[in-house]
Amino acid sequence: MSFEPKILGIACNWCTYTGADLAGTTRLKYPQNLRLIRVMCSSRINPSFIIRGFQLGADGVLVGGCHPGDCHYGTGNLYARRKLAITRKILEFAGMEPGRFRVEWISASEGKKFSEVVGEFTEQVQTLGPQTKFKITKDGQ
Amino acid sequence: MTAFKKIEDNLRMEAKNLLESGKVTLVLAYGGGFDEKHPVPYVAKAAADADHLVFNEYCTYNMARYLTRYPKGTKIAVAVKGADSRAVVQLIQEGKLRRDDLVILGIPATGMKNQKTGEVIDARTTASTINPVIFDVLLGDEVHGVKAGSPYDVLAELEGMDKDARWAFWKKEFERCIRCYACRKACPMCYCDPCFMDMSRPRWADKSPTDDGTLMYHLTRFYHLAGRCIDCGECSRACPVDIPLYLFHKKVAKECEEMFGQAAGMNIEDKPAMANFKGEDSDQMLG
Amino acid sequence: MLKKIAIDQFSELVKALLEKGPLYAPVKGKGGVNFQAIQNPADVTLDFYNTVLSPKSVFFPQSEDMIRYRITQGATEAHPVPPESRPAVILGVRPCDVRSFEIMDRHFLGAGVIDPYWKSKRDNTTIIGYAFDVNTAADPADFYNTFGYGAADPEGSDVFMIRTDKTLLLKGMTDRGKKLLDALGLLQAAGGPDEKAFEETVKKGKAVRTRSAQIEPQAIAKKLVSVFDNGEFWQKATMACIACGACTYVCPTCYCFDISDETLFKEGSRKRFWDACTFTDFTLEASGHNPRPRIFQRYRQKVCHKYSYHVDKYECISCVGCGRCIRSCPVNIDIFGIVVDAGKL
Repeated sequence: MSFEPKILGIACNWCTYTGADLAGTTRLKYPQNLRLIRVMCSSRINPSFIIRGFQLGADGVLVGGCHPGDCHYGTGNLYARRKLAITRKILEFAGMEPGRFRVEWISASEGKKFSEVVGEFTEQVQTLGPQTKFKITKDGQ
Repeated sequence: MTAFKKIEDNLRMEAKNLLESGKVTLVLAYGGGFDEKHPVPYVAKAAADADHLVFNEYCTYNMARYLTRYPKGTKIAVAVKGADSRAVVQLIQEGKLRRDDLVILGIPATGMKNQKTGEVIDARTTASTINPVIFDVLLGDEVHGVKAGSPYDVLAELEGMDKDARWAFWKKEFERCIRCYACRKACPMCYCDPCFMDMSRPRWADKSPTDDGTLMYHLTRFYHLAGRCIDCGECSRACPVDIPLYLFHKKVAKECEEMFGQAAGMNIEDKPAMANFKGEDSDQMLG
Repeated sequence: MLKKIAIDQFSELVKALLEKGPLYAPVKGKGGVNFQAIQNPADVTLDFYNTVLSPKSVFFPQSEDMIRYRITQGATEAHPVPPESRPAVILGVRPCDVRSFEIMDRHFLGAGVIDPYWKSKRDNTTIIGYAFDVNTAADPADFYNTFGYGAADPEGSDVFMIRTDKTLLLKGMTDRGKKLLDALGLLQAAGGPDEKAFEETVKKGKAVRTRSAQIEPQAIAKKLVSVFDNGEFWQKATMACIACGACTYVCPTCYCFDISDETLFKEGSRKRFWDACTFTDFTLEASGHNPRPRIFQRYRQKVCHKYSYHVDKYECISCVGCGRCIRSCPVNIDIFGIVVDAGKL
């Protein structure tokens, strides 16, 4: 029985989440490890969500948004890009494995890309094994 | 560099003049504490108070932290050293202060000392900004020709570690955290009311000092100060248990500078890096 | 009863104590020397002036579970966590800090409702006090002379330990202390010269000067109330304060705590944990109203509580002059200076 990672996904409503729907309606397969949360825009994502996700047991966190230039709200993902870039650096400097956090721009028509990215990412996290650094454990963490 | 005693004399003189003329309502600077090695932050309100002002190598406080306590429009004179002056610039960038409400008394200084250890404070634990980047009056001559060194050199050891060793390092450091929030309160940029830590809905971190709450607090604060931290080092000096927070803040500052081409608190016309984006931004930054 | 052991046998003594049960002693760490539960005898140090945090955490830990619960379908199972009652030893407590325990007893035990968590640990712990080095000047922040404490006062300790050149002298001060010393076979009986050295050190300790002032509890209690409304004084005295919690957390006689239910995935505990009256939200009410929104109001409250209200309720000042708050304060606020100035108003 190999390790089944818990992947937390946070996807923007207009692009990535719709792309995920497209993957579903076109019957494209992707691993069931993904727990997807929908936000209206990638800039809604508070970096603390990502930290908390790891603390609550996520083995990997995948963020999806519109391609820069195509944000439904015009510029949201341009702020998000900077935000998520710094988040990545912070996680890395704290010692979190870089392969556990990924940001991908996936549009509403890229159902195939969605399923591929989720598949790749899940496999990558599976190789890394269970995330233990941030994860809260009982008895004094 | 002008001798500290001369800077002190100039400080007293300027403060007296400013208060007597009514140009400012208060002067934020330094005063005497229970002994010479322990000065205190001091608010001079009357001209006579100016006689109590001091300046010596232990006046490490970033007086910019007191600026956000007063209603906008209050006319304030503030004594700032190099990095401190950048906090003033950053606060103006963020709309918390108006330039013309301030009389900035710049203090170019090297050889400041850590009150606890007596060690000289240099670019290893603070910014390499020796001369104030903004001022109305200089209380001493600018210092030139001193090699300050890069404020990021000290990161080499941690950057060179493998990630597991780095995690072990930070885990050990944060274990000592007693959640006194001295770091947050000492920081000139932590003016949010309520702070995310004070909120119960959502509850970002529990009030009791759990490891996960402590990690959430510090990592989030590092993030909240991205592009805003001016590397004064006060957070680390304020910490009663000596957690080297400056190392993480420096790393975030370094990344911001490299990725966004902008250092915190340098020009009042800048827009804070995290509240901005530029055409040059590329997906490269996402790795 | 006086016993002794050679200093280079100290880790043997620690080992022997560890065999009897939990031992709390000073350990040098990156953040200074602090009391910790000892695992390895070699960790204990006697080379320090005083710890950063006070020893109160041995009886009143920063975080303590009172009830543990699990939320299931339609019900919550909860069970109280019994207070710890294993006999323990705390070693290396400076004389002023030893006196803090008795002050804390007044409200944890003598205020009508007995705090079972404090009581249980207090009843079962033997205190080994440790004299300051009487040949070294006191730290400039200290002011314990104000309360009549000396640098080598044995009062309040179960066993009092004095370090001479090459020896540790240990005197059983209470029955509990004598019992412990009896049970430590590796200790040697002390002779006449040792008794003399002990007494002389205690005497010399009285000559060690700290900052001091004539502060009579009833008088200062009344005085502080009378100057409560002197806003100018209080604002000036507290202008540097940044409203962190460092002073409160390191203080041996601060005891405010908050209670919260902390749950994760349907399991959790109701716990109590240190709070600080200097925090902005200390008196923040659910409505959003805050009776003490400004720093000077909160710091004034702190001073008045320790030097006035505590005197009214418990007949003693809630302070031992250990100086920790001053040393740990990021802006060097000096509570002693403030109280002295208030007294002069």
